[in-house]
Amino acid sequence: MTTIPGSAAYSTLTTPTLTPAKRNAGRIAVKWITSTDHKTIGYMYLMASFTFFLLGGVMALIIRAELAWPGLQFVSLEQYNQLFTMHGSVMLLLFATPLFVGFANVIMPLQIGAPDVAFPRLNMFSFYLFLFGGIIVFLGFFTPAGAASFGWYAYAPLTSTEFSPGIGNDLWIIGFALSGFGTILGGVNFITTIYTMRAPGMTMFRMPIFSWNVLLTSVLVLMAFPPLAAALLVLEADRRFGATVFSAENGGAILWQHLFWFFGHPEVYILALPFFGIISEILPVFSRKPIFGYKGLIFATIAIAALSVAVWAHHMYITGAVYLPFFAFMTMLIAVPTGVKFFNWIGTIWNGSLSFETPMLWSIGFLVTFLFGGLTGVVLASPPLDFHVSDSYFVVAHFHYVVFGTVVFAMFAGFYFWWPKMTGKMLDERLGKIHFWTLFIGFHTTFLVQHWLGVEGMPRRYGDYLASDGFTNLNIVSSIGAVILGASTLPFLYNVWKTHKTALRVTSDDPWGWGASLEWATSCPPPRHNFITLPRIRSERPAFDLHHPEHAADGMPPREGMLTKVLGPADVSPDAGKQA
Amino acid sequence: MSRRVVQTVAVTAAAVASTTLAGCDTAKWSRGAMPVPITTGGHITLALWQGTWVAALIVGVLVWGLIIWAVIRFRRKQGDGLPKQTRYNIPIELFYTIAPTIMIAVLFGFTVKDQTELTRQTGAATNHVTVVGYQWEWTFNYTDKNTYDVGSTAQRPTLWLPVNQRVAFTLESPDVIHSFWVPDFLFHMDVVPGRKNIFEVTPDTIGDYKGRCAELCGAQHSRMLFNVKVVSQKDYDAHIAALRAAGQTGTASTGRYHLNTDTAEVEK
Repeated sequence: MTTIPGSAAYSTLTTPTLTPAKRNAGRIAVKWITSTDHKTIGYMYLMASFTFFLLGGVMALIIRAELAWPGLQFVSLEQYNQLFTMHGSVMLLLFATPLFVGFANVIMPLQIGAPDVAFPRLNMFSFYLFLFGGIIVFLGFFTPAGAASFGWYAYAPLTSTEFSPGIGNDLWIIGFALSGFGTILGGVNFITTIYTMRAPGMTMFRMPIFSWNVLLTSVLVLMAFPPLAAALLVLEADRRFGATVFSAENGGAILWQHLFWFFGHPEVYILALPFFGIISEILPVFSRKPIFGYKGLIFATIAIAALSVAVWAHHMYITGAVYLPFFAFMTMLIAVPTGVKFFNWIGTIWNGSLSFETPMLWSIGFLVTFLFGGLTGVVLASPPLDFHVSDSYFVVAHFHYVVFGTVVFAMFAGFYFWWPKMTGKMLDERLGKIHFWTLFIGFHTTFLVQHWLGVEGMPRRYGDYLASDGFTNLNIVSSIGAVILGASTLPFLYNVWKTHKTALRVTSDDPWGWGASLEWATSCPPPRHNFITLPRIRSERPAFDLHHPEHAADGMPPREGMLTKVLGPADVSPDAGKQA
Repeated sequence: MSRRVVQTVAVTAAAVASTTLAGCDTAKWSRGAMPVPITTGGHITLALWQGTWVAALIVGVLVWGLIIWAVIRFRRKQGDGLPKQTRYNIPIELFYTIAPTIMIAVLFGFTVKDQTELTRQTGAATNHVTVVGYQWEWTFNYTDKNTYDVGSTAQRPTLWLPVNQRVAFTLESPDVIHSFWVPDFLFHMDVVPGRKNIFEVTPDTIGDYKGRCAELCGAQHSRMLFNVKVVSQKDYDAHIAALRAAGQTGTASTGRYHLNTDTAEVEK
């Protein structure tokens, strides 16, 4: 059924496919923790990772409070080291990575028309590896020496028992090895699901961009996480069983960096690609156009994934131990497919019919923010410039523009976009806009000035600086921004609560009205195995074709000519609309 | 009321801007916030920094412009139907693939030229300093002069360098990784245990500067500071003579130190 947004989208009726059952807390809890439904597991991933996001955010606020003025006001230098170590590693490995697994779990099977993932029980096992791994990491705070304090990339030999004796460090190592195995198993699951469980008609080149990016991200997971798991276990063998693999005499200082960044750099793209995918889903819906250059976008993503495993040593320019021209060239090359993506996104909104519901607002916010992170990335790719700004606040600012700009902006875009699909209720638009603008202003106030701090000479990971350094003013600005940024979460939490309590149920399959991919061709929320009926899939926009059959063949290329020879025949025949 | 709101916003914005920009003159803006370089290599880095940023900002303004233009121009209006369903445009796609490739190639060309110059070891340095970074202090061995200087908790160490003399630094660490950063050099390099890192610079401006450890090395990382004095040859010779007169001859050990020692063991 087709509904125009804003008219009959809401009703008090419950979704007909959901059978009412007796509800009590214990029954629901048992149902959830024993579930093998990809959606339920996905929701648990999303909730757990968002909780870690809030914890990581609290640590960030303490860090910014400490840095607002010279001198130590709130924490000791050792506690400060614990805070940024845990902030970084929690945000990357317990928030952003499982957030990808969460979104992929909930959305990807729906988008490819599958009833579940390929290995539902393995899926649940992966979740528990992640959850308990994360809890083990956090337990470090309750040990006598505190949590790990050697930085999220844990450079040897600072990680040896000689320099970091505390048991919190061991909990960090083992906890992340454990949660890393969860991520690896998740990657296996997604790849298998995409290769074997697509609905009839869902060819690879009709798959939504988000599902494509889940596939490529999972491939990267399989490349990147095993070296990390191996390196962590070897490190633990060094610490507890007297191995000396990472001791300085054996060249361990550089060996660790190679192993770690061989994981660490693809990890950045593991965080980026799925969230690029979310943006690529949202822009077409609110532009009322198909994604521009669908195949070019996919090839660009493949290129990014391929290049991302060949650039790890750009984190090591100043070690004096790497061949600079190779890694500089590969790193700069990544700017090309990333630029292609940008123009695909701009091409999508160009000549569109844009409306700015909250998901769209977040997506535009992402474009504006991530662009600057991309530009500073090209600057950092050049070793002579990196020789100055490496390990400075410039780098801190850069990766927050990249990672926060991508993960957090796209996460909220995805939350507002798919909330009706996940819960059957629409989040409040007005609160959503307040949320967006406070976060946007807070974010840029916090991180823009950090570029200057770094260039002027403030190293990262300094819990303290001197009044005579001249860093105070910019640090105050940054900390004020952090307060606004932290406060921006409150309207969101209130929105979730208010929506849960008061919002009306969505009765349309596609409350936004112009949804393209298959998840908009089933109820909100979908039934246990996702679809009562599947529509015919004849393009990369099956739900759009279903709801707007009169437009299904619009803009399709002619059947003959050079383009058809190069790109293959069009996916929809000009008379597709008549058949429907 | 709305006028008052506007007024408040304007005043706040001005206050924030003046705080942010305090002390920033136009020369600093033209340097892209970089410190004034005090080495011959630093000028190379600065020129590359400026050129890269000009190019980056042109690209940035162009792309931001396209996004903002699209957001304003293509707003949905009441009664709008479906826009033209454009799916791709091969010539445009080829253009926006090739154009960035050319830009990257240009940047890569300049990068290689400059990094070759910055990392070049001429072997013609007249002054050799072995820097030992250790938790959480610095030692400077003036190896040509057979003398050294060690920092302590009470006294930050000072590295003295004669102006316009090429100096070769050898970086060594007995414990964990540190990083030797003098921001005014616009250059730093890691001090890696088990590895000798070497780089050369030619300081060309007399003055007092700051140095910092830039790689996390434990609890007191942010306290691992040092000073740099670039002085005339005459002042430099006097300082070296004073160090020798104080009995600081030989080389401060580059062997493994005990944890948490403030003074280095010295082999004479």
